[in-house]
Amino acid sequence: MATDSLSVANQRVVDTLAARLRRRQVVGSRETALETVLVLRQVISKARFSNIDQLVEIIRSVGRKLVEAQPKEHTVGNTVRKVLHHIREEYHTASKGTAVVSTSKDTLSIAKFVLQGQPRKQNVPQKTTLNESHDMLKENDADDPDAFARTLKPVLMEAIQDVLDELETVHDNISKNAKDHIHSDEIILTIGKSSTVEAFLKAAAPYRKYTVIVADTAPSYGGHDMAQSLSSAGISTVLVPDSSIYALMSRINKVMIGAHAILANGGMFAITGSLLVATAARAHSTPVVVCAGQFKLTPQWNLYHEYGALDFADPSSVLGFEEGNLVDKVDVVNPFYDYVRPELIDAFITNDGDHPPSSVYRLIKEAYDDEDYEL
Amino acid sequence: MSATATITMSALPSKSTIKLAPAQSHAEASSSQAQNQPPKSQKQMTKTERREQQERQRAAKAATKAAGPQPGGSNQNSAQVKKGAPPAASTSASVKKGGKGPDGKPTKDTKETTSDDSARGLRIFSHFGLPKPPGPSKGDIHPAIIRLGLQFSEFKIVGANARCIATLTAFKTVIQDYVTPPNNTLSRHLLTHLSPQITHLVSARPMSVTMGNAIRELKLEISGSDIDLPEQDAKNLLCQKIDDYISERITIADQVIQETAGTKIKDGDVILTYARSSVVEQVLVGAWDDGKQFSVVVVDSRPMLEGKKLLSVLSAMGIPCTYLLLPSIGSVITEVSTVLVGAHSLHSNGAVFSRAGTALVAMMAKQHSVPVVVCCETYKFAETIQLDSFTKNELAPAGDIFSSFPLTRSRDTLTLNKQLNLEILNPLYDLTPPSSITAVVTEVGVIPPSSISSIPLALGRTTL
Repeated sequence: MATDSLSVANQRVVDTLAARLRRRQVVGSRETALETVLVLRQVISKARFSNIDQLVEIIRSVGRKLVEAQPKEHTVGNTVRKVLHHIREEYHTASKGTAVVSTSKDTLSIAKFVLQGQPRKQNVPQKTTLNESHDMLKENDADDPDAFARTLKPVLMEAIQDVLDELETVHDNISKNAKDHIHSDEIILTIGKSSTVEAFLKAAAPYRKYTVIVADTAPSYGGHDMAQSLSSAGISTVLVPDSSIYALMSRINKVMIGAHAILANGGMFAITGSLLVATAARAHSTPVVVCAGQFKLTPQWNLYHEYGALDFADPSSVLGFEEGNLVDKVDVVNPFYDYVRPELIDAFITNDGDHPPSSVYRLIKEAYDDEDYEL
Repeated sequence: MSATATITMSALPSKSTIKLAPAQSHAEASSSQAQNQPPKSQKQMTKTERREQQERQRAAKAATKAAGPQPGGSNQNSAQVKKGAPPAASTSASVKKGGKGPDGKPTKDTKETTSDDSARGLRIFSHFGLPKPPGPSKGDIHPAIIRLGLQFSEFKIVGANARCIATLTAFKTVIQDYVTPPNNTLSRHLLTHLSPQITHLVSARPMSVTMGNAIRELKLEISGSDIDLPEQDAKNLLCQKIDDYISERITIADQVIQETAGTKIKDGDVILTYARSSVVEQVLVGAWDDGKQFSVVVVDSRPMLEGKKLLSVLSAMGIPCTYLLLPSIGSVITEVSTVLVGAHSLHSNGAVFSRAGTALVAMMAKQHSVPVVVCCETYKFAETIQLDSFTKNELAPAGDIFSSFPLTRSRDTLTLNKQLNLEILNPLYDLTPPSSITAVVTEVGVIPPSSISSIPLALGRTTL
């Protein structure tokens, strides 16, 4: 029933993105999130539905398809969940007046709070602008099946625009308080190329004089790009190979790294080498700060430290074919991500404020709906 | 402070210049106020004071220009910081021109802030000193030593054992070619003959602890040689002693270590090793020859990428190997049963000085309760205590950086050398603290890191 409402054009758009994800033509958390939002916007604008459940099912099926195409890009699923959360919120706001809506009762109790997890739903103030529309929120109207969709769509488009805006301004919001986190003459260690960390450091540069040590993170060597970009912004940068991280750690004041995805227990997936850096920092009691946007919050776990949860990249960056005689005799491993335990991280700096890893679960509960954890 | 300066300024000119200096530096430091004293006419001031005023004005102009791109607060910070530390990088011409200490100091401060601000974070590492190519040799350097120096500076001979053996072999040639000049004894003159050779080697590449220990033994032997022996016999004796040293302390020690460490390897083990240690290579090859079935994980890192040599040796023998780069070690460490690494030197406090990256490997292994075994001969023992990796280290030359990068990465992204604000550091060694090490296998036994300081005792001598 849901697929009937998915027009051919919609299918094509979704399939294009799924193919690009599978072929890894779209990589990186922010890029995939942006692409997903754009696809969802197109899907919703062309979708035909007469009640909220149909809409949710449409979006869920789109989300499932995209996540299956590339399960390691967690932000795809996160964005779908976020859009669903916004949709439900708008829907509840719009239909607050009618008797149909809220499954939640108005009485507050701790048990309800913990069970529901979304206190905002219960306390949503009545929006006066939608007073007229709640009368017209006809669901399952037999004569005019599109009435519901018509009234709800503009609101939904706004909500999706909010999500898009949040994604686009992520770097600016994170870097707002950059200068409060860095003191003068500080030596900061970072690895790989994270655009979030880069924006953060560049934002603090005009206010503070500090040095950044960049480890070049073999075999992706993102550190080189990072060092180039930071030094051309006027920050004094030192580029070192990864082998000297432990050696230099005693002189480093702060470690600042980016994340690929933040997991529900406060741990994270980050570029290979982050585990080394975080462990060395813990050994020297150096604070580890992770800069990440809220769109990276994933309601998933890595309980068993699965080897397969890491993404594996091209082994020829490690041992290329120029070592011809070795290539077939030797196993070459090139994991792209590392799992870092929450105990190794001191703080997450997100566009929505700074949080310790122990409160990540609360952020996830606020950002997504419980029923969406399994798409 | 400035008030006292004004009062004394009219009195004795010489005293006033000295008292003026602290006031002046503080005035420079605040970078906004130019003069605190009431302006005096040119005629009243002495020549020194006039010059000082000119310098001050010039410096203030430079400071305001520098304060443009950079905030004034940091200027103040850096000026305060730099006052104490003698500047290594910039030498301002006015220092030499001014001639007087207090005259030059304030200008030196502000000139430093402008030029050193870009490189300030790197002063911590400035004592490492970048390696220089060996210059033209002064005095008579034996051709064998010149060739050796070249091989060292190009990193053709790497590894503590290899360098030591190469050095001693070269010295054997030098000793054989040496002729005692008349009215001199071999035992005294040979030492002075060897000194410039040693200096040449050190200028090519800083001396390793193994080379240092070996040369010290050699000098001891030379100074103890019998005066009555005919020259050729004395030289033969010295060469024999060198051979004995190599055989005893290195070759046979390696065999003992190979047997001892081999007993730690069981069937089905996964052994992890880092970069290339000649001792560990012997241990693994020996254990495989004994028929043990195990697999090896070789971890490697830039800039040396020495693990590839070890990889080719091991895979040629048929040992199943896995190869990965250092950052990926977190994913495989749970599968590893033992970590075997080599060392450059052992220190009295139990720390192991080894190839950069060993500390990371040992730390990760310890986290996952994997035993870390260091294979090391006793002649690598150094009496000193080392607490961190900075006080004594070596930087690899930034020269040929391309060879160690994968071909899949485009070359133009790697040309980073001559950029403002960017410095590239490649420390070659690091220090593994004793807490990360489980045991050290030497030819005198398997010892915990806390017993490293009693190695000389185990060898039966008070000095090594």
